[in-house]
Amino acid sequence: MSRIGAAALSLVMLLGLCACGGTTDEGTANAGGEGEKTKLYVVNWKDYGSDDQELIAAFEEEYNCEIVNSYMESEEQLLTSLKTASEGEIDVCLPNCTILPAAIEAGLLMEIDPTQMENFSSLYERFQTQKECFGEDGKMYAVPFVWGSTAIAYNTELMDAAPSSMADLFDEQYAGKVTIRDDYNDAIMAAAIVLGQDPTAPNDLDAIRDLLIQQKSLNRTYWQTGDEFSKLFAGGQIEFGMMWSGQAASMKQEGEPIGFVVPEDGAIGWVDNWAIASGSQNKELALAFINYMISKDVQYAWAAKGGPAPANQEAAESIDPEYAASCGMDEASLNRLYFMAYQDDETKAEWAELWTEVKAS
Amino acid sequence: MEHKKRRLLTLPSVCWLLIFTVLPLLIMLFYSFQSDSGAGFTIENYIHFFSKATYLKLTWRTILSALLVTFFSLLISYPLAYILAKRLRGARALILVLIIIPFFTNQLVRVYSWLIFLQDGGVLNRFLAAIGISPGDSLGILYTQAAVIIALVHAYFPYMVITIYMALERMDNSMLEASYILGATRLTTFRRVIFPVSMPGVVSGILIVFVPCLGSFVEPRILGGTNGTLIGTVIEDQFTELYGWGFGSSIAFLLLALVILSMLVINWWGRRYEE
Repeated sequence: MSRIGAAALSLVMLLGLCACGGTTDEGTANAGGEGEKTKLYVVNWKDYGSDDQELIAAFEEEYNCEIVNSYMESEEQLLTSLKTASEGEIDVCLPNCTILPAAIEAGLLMEIDPTQMENFSSLYERFQTQKECFGEDGKMYAVPFVWGSTAIAYNTELMDAAPSSMADLFDEQYAGKVTIRDDYNDAIMAAAIVLGQDPTAPNDLDAIRDLLIQQKSLNRTYWQTGDEFSKLFAGGQIEFGMMWSGQAASMKQEGEPIGFVVPEDGAIGWVDNWAIASGSQNKELALAFINYMISKDVQYAWAAKGGPAPANQEAAESIDPEYAASCGMDEASLNRLYFMAYQDDETKAEWAELWTEVKAS
Repeated sequence: MEHKKRRLLTLPSVCWLLIFTVLPLLIMLFYSFQSDSGAGFTIENYIHFFSKATYLKLTWRTILSALLVTFFSLLISYPLAYILAKRLRGARALILVLIIIPFFTNQLVRVYSWLIFLQDGGVLNRFLAAIGISPGDSLGILYTQAAVIIALVHAYFPYMVITIYMALERMDNSMLEASYILGATRLTTFRRVIFPVSMPGVVSGILIVFVPCLGSFVEPRILGGTNGTLIGTVIEDQFTELYGWGFGSSIAFLLLALVILSMLVINWWGRRYEE
């Protein structure tokens, strides 16, 4: 009998070990083509437009090339791959503004001449001049692709009107009915908006810490993955909370009673930008690809498929205004956003520690 | 000659241990003395840890939660193991399998199951309402420390059942008979005979539950609500969000020191009891 026991114990321990394993998801397009085609190596998020077969087919045909996608797991990881990639391993990539200045400074990206892209002029003015896309030498290194926001999603069945201010998340009358994300950047930027500090460069972190500690008990819980938010929302556990525009839109398309609003005092915005890796051997093709990705047609088609908000103004204006407003994709929402900026490692560590202090309080 | 041969045979497993256990630990130790902002050897990570009340507070919270989980696991496991070893005959294998079955499910699936089970308006809430002992429409267990402890006990108590079971199973039943014949009551028999004999199983059971609980981060983060942060979640954040490998490694090393220390204490306590 004790032998059974020993076997059972080892089985249990083995399974325990297995349960710790993770999965990695690495995708590559089929490389079996005709051999003659030029390959363009693109690093981006999975299911993010540039790997959409329909959108890509036309480009591949016109330029007689093949798009080879690989996927990033985080901004930091993209920065690491750019640093370690060999010549020609990456042509085009999709950094956001939080790593862009670091990538430019490290010489990982190639200069881009906007006059060589006919679609550049149809981007929103603010995206044509977005400061993170320019190096300290004044040259341009990246082109905005799509943008989105982390603002407030609310349950339209439980609430009569949309929350009008970020301060509602900090209001005691909603105790136990709200949620914010377990993310130091979101938490600190939201608190800075409420306190009237500059969300991209808050100057009074002590006040922010105090406010967040006060706010802590109002949360049903902090959520971290989009899936956790969906469960909280679907179970009616919360009335409103901080949420990403993209997920709010897809939850709405699935028929959830969800509304999304960028409140009057503002919310947090992000921008994903196309850039060309300095080791690229296909600069011409890379430029053509970026020009194609920011064209009105592609941007409109991608947004219509549930993608994030287009940086192309013409594309944005062809979207049904009601839908755009309900997903926070309209120009009024855009103008209310504070875009996440690059923070150096020291600031990041300081913010993260502040957030740990809030959670430990 | 014979001796030399035997030593040669252990070489593969020694190499395995060196490459996959000792070497990674050394790499971690190396990182823990590296600054996250610049290069070079530094002890700033360790100083930083001890200079902030937050990290000590979280460490204390972690120890407390691991102690609670161990306590409740022991409370459940001991009677279960005793019944398995001494009272049951035929159903023994079946019950053992039933205890092990939860391990066939993925950890995340188990955690999410608890989430659905414990949430307000969830399975447990509705069940309690149906039999008329509902505390209203909100149960209030999910997103508290109680939920974390329930999930951790569920995850780890089977280890303890098995270690205690194996210790009790080895015990000779005639010892019990001898004890009763000599006039001992049931309680005295348990205190003086059964418990001391099962002590090695209890000690390894406590270790096998307490140690992984110190490093747990999935259950606290998902079920613990706003107070779900433990030292394990801080380490996770350092590695996955901040790329603060230096500071992360130093916390991990301090946790390892805590683990070794607690193993020493528990072993010492166990041996003292046996004597």
